[in-house]
Amino acid sequence: MNVPKRWRAIAIAAISTVALIPGTSFAATLSIWARASSSNAAQHMIDLWNASHDDKIELTTIPDNQMVTKLATSVQSGDVPDLISFDLIFMPDFMRAGLLTDLTDVLGADPNQAKVAQAFKDLATYEGRLYGTGFTPDVSILLYNKDLFRKAGLDPEQPPKTIGQLEDFARKIRASDPNAYGYYFSGSCGGCNIFTQAPMMWASGATLLPSSADGPAMEGTGVKEVLTMLHNMWKDGIIPESAEADTGANFQATFETGTIGMQGSGGFAIAALKANHPEIDFGIAPLPGVNEGDASSFVGGDVIAVPKGSKNADLALQFIQWQLTDDAQLNGLAKNLILPSRSDLADNEFFKAEPRYVTTAQAVGIGKTPYAFHFNDMVNADQSPWLTMLQTAVFDGDVDGAIAGAQETLRSIAAQ
Amino acid sequence: MTTLAEGTAVRRPAEYVARAAGESRPMGYLIGAVCVAISALMLAPLVLSLLASIKPPAEAHEVPPNYLPRGITFDNYLKVFDFQAGFATYLGNSLLVAALTIVLCLLLAVPAGYGLARFRIPFKEGWFILLLAPLMIPYQALLTPLYLTFSQEVFGMRLANTHLALAVVHTILQLPFSIYLMRNSFESIPRELEEAAKVDGSNSFQMLRSIFLPLVIPGIVTVALFAFITSWNEFLSALIFMSKESNFTVPIMLVSVRAGRLGAVDWGALQAGVVLSILPCVLIYVLLQKYYVAGFLNGAVK
Repeated sequence: MNVPKRWRAIAIAAISTVALIPGTSFAATLSIWARASSSNAAQHMIDLWNASHDDKIELTTIPDNQMVTKLATSVQSGDVPDLISFDLIFMPDFMRAGLLTDLTDVLGADPNQAKVAQAFKDLATYEGRLYGTGFTPDVSILLYNKDLFRKAGLDPEQPPKTIGQLEDFARKIRASDPNAYGYYFSGSCGGCNIFTQAPMMWASGATLLPSSADGPAMEGTGVKEVLTMLHNMWKDGIIPESAEADTGANFQATFETGTIGMQGSGGFAIAALKANHPEIDFGIAPLPGVNEGDASSFVGGDVIAVPKGSKNADLALQFIQWQLTDDAQLNGLAKNLILPSRSDLADNEFFKAEPRYVTTAQAVGIGKTPYAFHFNDMVNADQSPWLTMLQTAVFDGDVDGAIAGAQETLRSIAAQ
Repeated sequence: MTTLAEGTAVRRPAEYVARAAGESRPMGYLIGAVCVAISALMLAPLVLSLLASIKPPAEAHEVPPNYLPRGITFDNYLKVFDFQAGFATYLGNSLLVAALTIVLCLLLAVPAGYGLARFRIPFKEGWFILLLAPLMIPYQALLTPLYLTFSQEVFGMRLANTHLALAVVHTILQLPFSIYLMRNSFESIPRELEEAAKVDGSNSFQMLRSIFLPLVIPGIVTVALFAFITSWNEFLSALIFMSKESNFTVPIMLVSVRAGRLGAVDWGALQAGVVLSILPCVLIYVLLQKYYVAGFLNGAVK
């Protein structure tokens, strides 16, 4: 292309002038990948950052179940985003595979990091080094329909405190209304059930997933008790038949019909129910264990990390530190009714009008997350030992055989 | 159109069907009923998608589903239009990649089909089978090596994360079938035409341009149509090869827009996305239908 000499000179002079002005710098644009189901929460944080910083962040939404493939291939090719937000459960695998940048030196010294929920700190640590932190958390809770409680003669302000009570309440709800069911779970969804049934097991002391070949698997009080309770309710029609084939597609929708007494769910259900079904009077409670006081929860949601090869790693780390500040946690998350990842901010001004959020946010502090490699093979896969155990025990009734089979397969996966 | 003014008696549809099939009127009714039943069966998913897409979100999630909407809303369409980079961006990307795929497929499949059908080549059948062999390899196995290759700089350029790269991958997927179709199309043309052209002094390129290409238009349209549909629907390589939201295609948006927590599905948004994404396919199919059928039959009867 022929550019007149005069224009060329003007262009060179303009570029040189800008470059020579002290303090002149060009704002960078960071890229972040977030899984689709958490992208709304991530977008709130990004909008808040973009409104107050010269360096901007661009979000790319990755379908949930493709995140592992996408990150692995991109790191191999060197074409990585600057930041990545993904299901915290994949953290051990990603850290061990060397896909993430070590953030220990900066993040370890950050006072806000010390206030992040323990589950996030545990999951983001590998061989004593820190590779990420909490970003957009969520937590499992017991969701119950207060109208159905009243109809069954139960106190709507007294949710079950043990799994024995849960079964008892479920039976009363079923008996009170031929169209109502006492309990619901998605019977063909491994992820849904590790989120909602597993806390009832480990609340009583059970250890579920082995982190090594000789580690405990499906052991301790709670495993057999919860599976037996679910089987008894299934056998007696307390759980609707549609539960058996539900792959998670109707995980939220079934409770929204108003015919389900209780269901394990997540904090995200509060906003969805309030928006789409204001007619349903619902309560939330911690997921109970075998004995009173055994309540627990699964801390889920997304961690944030810097993939190896990030071209703006320093700036990415600045964003990670910024998102842990009071301002970001409260105005980016809590203001939008999303749980903060810092436990000390559970009780905040934005949750005051809705005590159910406070209960949920506090569950982040008491809950935990299993630290396991090959989590996908152990839990999420269609033929995973966790899901096979659940289906064999609940729908076929062979509880002991199901547990034994799962223990063997889980250990063989952990040995890989 | 038949009118009374033209002096032609008005006939019932069954009579037309019966006459066309050379059968009696009752048989015409029967054939008509079967046709209507098949059409209803094929249209049912589309109609149900359309109905689900205009239900309010709460109604779209109902279990069991209520097929007829009690209320009508376009919220689901608004969600799809406003999702992340906006539907227009995804639509534009999909159309661009599909167009490039069509061009690349035709540029390669037409000469290949011509050569395989009309030239004496040693071990021709062997070459043909070799060209079809990629059909036997699951394309998912090819994606990672291809992606790593495209990520390397060649002459200061990287193909990864470009529409051209994705079009090349889609062409690789579609090429065996395209060559197969084009070879059959070229083979179905009578040899006498070729001989007459030779007598008139035409060389191979002139024969291709003046004699063969006008006669294989249905085959070309069929190849283009299949290339479009393959590219339009393809998800996995689009996800692997594209790294920015602004480069994503419609199938990736469809998977993301429906995503709820723990695998929960936003049925309303999903169906709205489905309805919008099938419109270009239906439009192109209807416009090119006559060529498509003719192209598919090429080489079926010799």
